[in-house]
Amino acid sequence: MTYVVDLKELDRHAIGLVGGKNANLGELLKRGIRVPPGFAVTVNGFLHYLDEAGIRDDLFALLGEVQTEDTACLDTVSAEIRGLFRQSQMPDAIMAQLRPHYERLEDVCGREGIPVAVRSSATAEDLPNASFAGQQDTFLWVRGADEVATYVRRCWASLYSSRAISYRVMNGFPHDKVFMSVGVQKMVNAKAAGVMFTLDPANGDRSQVLLEGTWGLGESVASGEVTPDQFRVDKISKEINRRHISHKHVECIPDPTGGIAKIVPIHDDRCDKSCVTDEELRELARISRLIEDHYGGPQDIEWAIDHDLAFPENVFIVQARPETVWSQKKPEPLLAGKSASELLLQRALQVIKVG
Amino acid sequence: MTQSNSFPQPTAYAATEIPSSLAGWEAMYPSHFFFGGAREEWENRHFWYLDKIHAPYPLPPLDHIFQQAWQISLSQHTTRIFCIPPAQGIAQRIVGCYQYICAVEPPPDEVIGEKAALFQARAHYPVEHYDELWEEWLVRVQALGAELKAIKVPAELPRYVPDNEMFPDGFKGYTAAYELMESFDRAVNCLYKGWQYHFNYLNLAYLYYLTFFGAAKTLFPGVSDAAVSKMVAGADVSMFRPDAEMCRLARLAYEDGPVAAILEREDTAAEKIVSLREIQSGRDWLDEFDKIRDPWLHISTGSGWYYNEGSWLNKLDVPFGYVKGYIERLQKGERIERSLDEIGAARDAVLGEYRSLIRTDEDRATFDNAYSDTRIIYRYAEDHLFWIEHWFHTLWWDKIREIGGALVKAGSLKKVDDIFMFNRFEVPALIEDSATRWALGEGVPSMDWAGTAAKRHGILNAAGKWIPSPALGQTPEEVAEPFTIMLWGVTTDKVGDWLKGSSVDPGDLNEIKGFASSAGVVEGVARVLHTADEIMKLKAGEILVCPSTNPSWGPALGRVGAAVTDIGGLTSHAAIVAREYGLPAVTGTGLATTAIKTGDRVRVDGDTGVVTILERAAV
Repeated sequence: MTYVVDLKELDRHAIGLVGGKNANLGELLKRGIRVPPGFAVTVNGFLHYLDEAGIRDDLFALLGEVQTEDTACLDTVSAEIRGLFRQSQMPDAIMAQLRPHYERLEDVCGREGIPVAVRSSATAEDLPNASFAGQQDTFLWVRGADEVATYVRRCWASLYSSRAISYRVMNGFPHDKVFMSVGVQKMVNAKAAGVMFTLDPANGDRSQVLLEGTWGLGESVASGEVTPDQFRVDKISKEINRRHISHKHVECIPDPTGGIAKIVPIHDDRCDKSCVTDEELRELARISRLIEDHYGGPQDIEWAIDHDLAFPENVFIVQARPETVWSQKKPEPLLAGKSASELLLQRALQVIKVG
Repeated sequence: MTQSNSFPQPTAYAATEIPSSLAGWEAMYPSHFFFGGAREEWENRHFWYLDKIHAPYPLPPLDHIFQQAWQISLSQHTTRIFCIPPAQGIAQRIVGCYQYICAVEPPPDEVIGEKAALFQARAHYPVEHYDELWEEWLVRVQALGAELKAIKVPAELPRYVPDNEMFPDGFKGYTAAYELMESFDRAVNCLYKGWQYHFNYLNLAYLYYLTFFGAAKTLFPGVSDAAVSKMVAGADVSMFRPDAEMCRLARLAYEDGPVAAILEREDTAAEKIVSLREIQSGRDWLDEFDKIRDPWLHISTGSGWYYNEGSWLNKLDVPFGYVKGYIERLQKGERIERSLDEIGAARDAVLGEYRSLIRTDEDRATFDNAYSDTRIIYRYAEDHLFWIEHWFHTLWWDKIREIGGALVKAGSLKKVDDIFMFNRFEVPALIEDSATRWALGEGVPSMDWAGTAAKRHGILNAAGKWIPSPALGQTPEEVAEPFTIMLWGVTTDKVGDWLKGSSVDPGDLNEIKGFASSAGVVEGVARVLHTADEIMKLKAGEILVCPSTNPSWGPALGRVGAAVTDIGGLTSHAAIVAREYGLPAVTGTGLATTAIKTGDRVRVDGDTGVVTILERAAV
């Protein structure tokens, strides 16, 4: 049974095995897009673990009792389930596959104890459109196969956070159809990071890429600690049409003592400087178009710029998922169904307000 | 916009704000171009702004003729020919040697209705028949140019009518004095007619462009103005031909060692011509060079609007300089020709990418039609410029200088170019006075024309140091006139900038704005140049700051770090070439050559259209 698989071997068909996020990373790698190298612990691994640890029945029994409108009850159930995960060990069969994959990553990166990011990637059988965005945990700066195994279990446990449980109940997803794969990737030593949309979320303009970014890891943007720099780049002409540099007083850096990141103040002149260069912006815009073309629709992409590498090898894509707001709108004619000669007349009749 | 933010009232401004150093300026221009009098109420309710496109510098009186001619021609094509419904013409006034213009307020509603019907009936024919109309246009313009060129100007007013004119074979019945009077009148008529032709399809071309522009902006709200103009701009247009001919001649010379060796010397053009004549292959090359004099050397080293710019034809050092530069690049193994195929293919690829992002078939069909109509007629906007402002104007300058030469010989003027110090209504008086004096016999005194010319040179110099208000009068609520929007770029933002900047001396500005014409950001040392023959001063990587460019600047643009111009929009020559070379450009700033000094360290942001002066050069 395959419990651990290299990201390079994945593609979109692997979604049931490794979840949407990991399958996506495999797709991106196949397109030659720079994604940090790594591997995924599969859903099979998750199921094997539930059985080996002997917690499967208890888990679903506890979930059966839950009353989502009762927050206290929800929190109690969630805590009990996560206790089950904490108390059990990673099965040997999984470790036997995980360890060589981690060692291979050490070889590839030329560094022993290579720091990795451990991210959850939920799967929902027969429910390809389910969005679990932001519900599961990410652990950064994890080193060594054993530590990886610990955080893989914590990722699994995060499937049973109060929020995740109530989300499934509210959206009618049965608990026993939603499983968890975990992605393990080389940690980008992020000088700057952020997100980008392959359209302008303000008006749906598909010729533009909207980028937000800040110093350090992207987490400080997601958590609202920092107002990110914002850029709008034309995907085709590569012009930078908007450039808003904000005051970035803190940044998120990995905490080497634990598996998580910490927020620290920025003391130097980086506060008011653009967190990305123009060439990095244009490279991100170029990549965003490749990704969007590949998936055939607008994307919501996480990116990072590595400290240690030189441009363009320093530009990494961390994650890509479909954009959900504009993509789901039915396209309406924007020119109001007018012919070119009707537009000409309209233009001839038009007056421009200047006062 | 609140009342307190409005600009000075035109009549009050003209009466009180013109510096005394300009005293006497009124005499230089026809009085129907002044503010005040019976038209005052009408003038004060309009919005007047400084015409930095056509008249960025104080207007020499005779050069004002182009302005006079376009006021009529541009306006009539909007109001009486194509009948653009709510738009009226553009009116001009002069204040202290500077030209102010305004878009005339809309006509009554019933007139808009009448014009709408006419517009619909007239707006499509030129697009549907453009190729044949263009051919006819060119024949018409070339015939008119030939007529202008053929006007006979007597070299002098002879002491006595020559013998041969006394006898039947050479008898004319009139003298050189009459010919001189007639020559100017005929030249003026040709000029006015040429400017009638100038606008034949231009208003419509702009309107189609604005239509496509509007459609593109509706489909892609974030797309930059420069990206849209790049979709429309043609590569194979007449304005690029002189430069292409220089490339061709350079290659011809490069293939023949001795010719190339002569052309590469540091000699003047005149010296090189002497050397070339000494060898057969040199003579052959000169024959080729002579073949392109008409039309392709009839190109101004500036905008074509000022007599003192000169053309390649009379500044041969400019084209010879380019040939030299191109030969040097050929020797380095570089390719010098613009590849029209590549430029066209790149444009089509970009267009195709935007097009592929249009989400409905309906929109795509409209976009395609608007695009193809615009491409067809927009060629006119690109091609007419060479034939009128450059070729035809060069013929005009030459003809007027012939007349100026005769007046110098007649003792009325000191220098040939003094003739440009008199407006087109005064020159007939100047000629008539000279003819009269000649007719009256010996010992008859002249009016002091030369003295007046000298005084006016002084007034123009003084005016060059004065910074007039960027605008006058009531800010308008809306504008319908296509040139006002497209050529002068009058928008809420622009008016706001004028309001902010009107009290600041440009020499104190640390930031100026223009059109974001070519993407990218570059910092460097500025080099301010006024005409193309100063180009040799440019060092590689410097930021070129100039009034405007045309193909006579072409090779220089390959060497600079970025370009900034006073004049010109997104489809100006500087913008097109900068995009081809991939260097940042900000065009149409209005005052870059005033605000920036050679040696200043500047940042040119071609993405946002902002030029920042980072560090002033040490004085």
